[in-house]
Amino acid sequence: MDALYRLEADKLDIFLQSLGPDIYAPVKTDAIRFQKISSVKEADLTALADVPVKDFFFRQREQLFKFTKGKIATEIKDAPFRIFFGLRRCDLNAVKHQDFIFIEKYKDPYYTAQRKNTLLFGYHCDEALNKYCFCGSMGLEEYHDIMFFDKKKYFLLNPGSKVGQKIVSEAKLKRAGTLKKKDTIPKGTDRLEKKDISKLFENSLWEKGADECLSCSACTSLCPTCYCHEVKDDVKLSDLKSGERTREWSSCQLKSFTRVAGEHVFREKRVDRFKHRIYHQLVYFKERYGVNMCVGCGRCITHCPTTIDFVSLINKMK
Amino acid sequence: MGRLRIGFYGLTGCAGCQLSVIFNEDELLDIIKLFDIRAFPFIKASNDEERFDLVFMEGLVASPHDIETLTRIRAKTKTLVALGACAHSGCIPAYRSFTLKENYEHLLYSKAKDIADVEPEPISKHVKVDYVLPGCPPDKKEILHFMKEIALGKTPKFNHNPVCVECRLNGNDCLLIHGKPCMGPITSGGCHAVCVTGGFECWGCRGPTGDANYKAYIALLKKKGYKKEFIKTRMMMFAGKIQPEEMKACLQ
Ligand code: SF4
Ligand code: SF4
Ligand code: SF4
Ligand code: SF4
Ligand code: SF4
Repeated sequence: MDALYRLEADKLDIFLQSLGPDIYAPVKTDAIRFQKISSVKEADLTALADVPVKDFFFRQREQLFKFTKGKIATEIKDAPFRIFFGLRRCDLNAVKHQDFIFIEKYKDPYYTAQRKNTLLFGYHCDEALNKYCFCGSMGLEEYHDIMFFDKKKYFLLNPGSKVGQKIVSEAKLKRAGTLKKKDTIPKGTDRLEKKDISKLFENSLWEKGADECLSCSACTSLCPTCYCHEVKDDVKLSDLKSGERTREWSSCQLKSFTRVAGEHVFREKRVDRFKHRIYHQLVYFKERYGVNMCVGCGRCITHCPTTIDFVSLINKMK
Repeated sequence: MGRLRIGFYGLTGCAGCQLSVIFNEDELLDIIKLFDIRAFPFIKASNDEERFDLVFMEGLVASPHDIETLTRIRAKTKTLVALGACAHSGCIPAYRSFTLKENYEHLLYSKAKDIADVEPEPISKHVKVDYVLPGCPPDKKEILHFMKEIALGKTPKFNHNPVCVECRLNGNDCLLIHGKPCMGPITSGGCHAVCVTGGFECWGCRGPTGDANYKAYIALLKKKGYKKEFIKTRMMMFAGKIQPEEMKACLQ
């Protein structure tokens, strides 16, 4: 799938609108978030969305089931057909990792219902979008229905799936060359110099990072790949045998995350929590599934209140 | 088992925390089905004080009368809950502890001779407290949740994650990053980040998290241009008389 097709810039809106009513793109409100748009003019493609698309599929809070007097009722509704336009390569790979965990590995019906009628349209970065991007260090792959390369007067479209190919063919777009591997990686994004940190666990610099850490969980909430959650039950006051079970995002940065019976907390020390996140992202996931979990989007740095740049921290480690 | 015998009492305070209970209008009848409200002097004319399974105590100790009420009721109840920030920490009324007597004496105590100047304290300073429902005011849903756990015979669990967790769950853009002196990272959650979600930074009314990195937090606020005195006032406001040692050390 390396064919390129040409779409004139002024035809982009018609092209998207012709595909369905529910087109989502990054829009600048208080922050840049994915929202439904009626014209592509509303989209802000100048920066990486502050909030990734994660919460459309793996929702912050999700009711798993209701229970009434010993009976369980699950209500899962499929989300409508939606197109997400303007996803960067990092975020596309993040969806890939979440798809792998929630659909392939654990067959999670809630995530699947939100995700399955979705098309992913990428918007390619020619170079690092901001100084914290490091997608080029993470060995990302192609994961899109269509990737858009912005050439100002026109776009080059690269279909990456059967549906993407079908859309491009039906729109009768003209072939315009072939995508080269080197053009898929944004320039200036290979910022993480050490690709294997497994031997650095005892390095004293981790303490330096943790000293600045507020354990606030901004990093994991805004990380497009983090999937940790907790499960809660709540009953009705009018009937203590009825209620609902929900799941809610959680974070390894919190003490409560590893609290077990007897109030024992496994990762009591801040530095252990701080390291765990980075080790899960760069080491543990890879050990189990063969790819980095982290996609190098840099949100856990740009949205960290104290801007802890763990990439330069690692680069400094001896 | 019959309904649990419960009571709601107020010491020195604004009665807002007791109001938070009453604001659960839609559930009041369900509460009465599960609990026998023996006493609630704020809204009830006849109050029976014989014995309680559970008492919610609002307000701080700031008068001899408060001490008397608190010790009397504690002796009659199996379980005592500190309801709200004053009961929990002493809150804003305890602020006079942090200033010299001559700064406030002339405003009230020298005029009203029958009001004794008792050192303001959270109720835990005087009696054993079994649970705390923090907040100024406490979250009305959290009060209900607590009551359900008690009715089910469970040990109630409390949220000591920083406010940021719920703030992020609500999808808010972070005010601290935009330079507001938000106390979310050092404050216990459970309020659903109601202030930030309403556009206003967290002032820390639910008290310290127990996992706060004060050093990094204070350094961050200073970097954002806040003066030491401002930071100190903000942090002491609701932490009142329960300021952790580490916090005090960092505010020196
Ligand atoms: S990390 Fe890479 S793909 Fe993501 S925004 Fe930055 S340059 Fe683009
Ligand atoms: S966002 Fe920064 S301060 Fe907050 S938990 Fe993550 S690393 Fe720590
Ligand atoms: S760990 Fe940080 S850089 Fe990596 S994917 Fe998550 S937010 Fe992005
Ligand atoms: S363990 Fe931490 S880093 Fe890993 S997915 Fe969970 S929250 Fe994210
Ligand atoms: S606005 Fe305040 S409570 Fe919300 S994430 Fe930022 S610091 Fe935390």
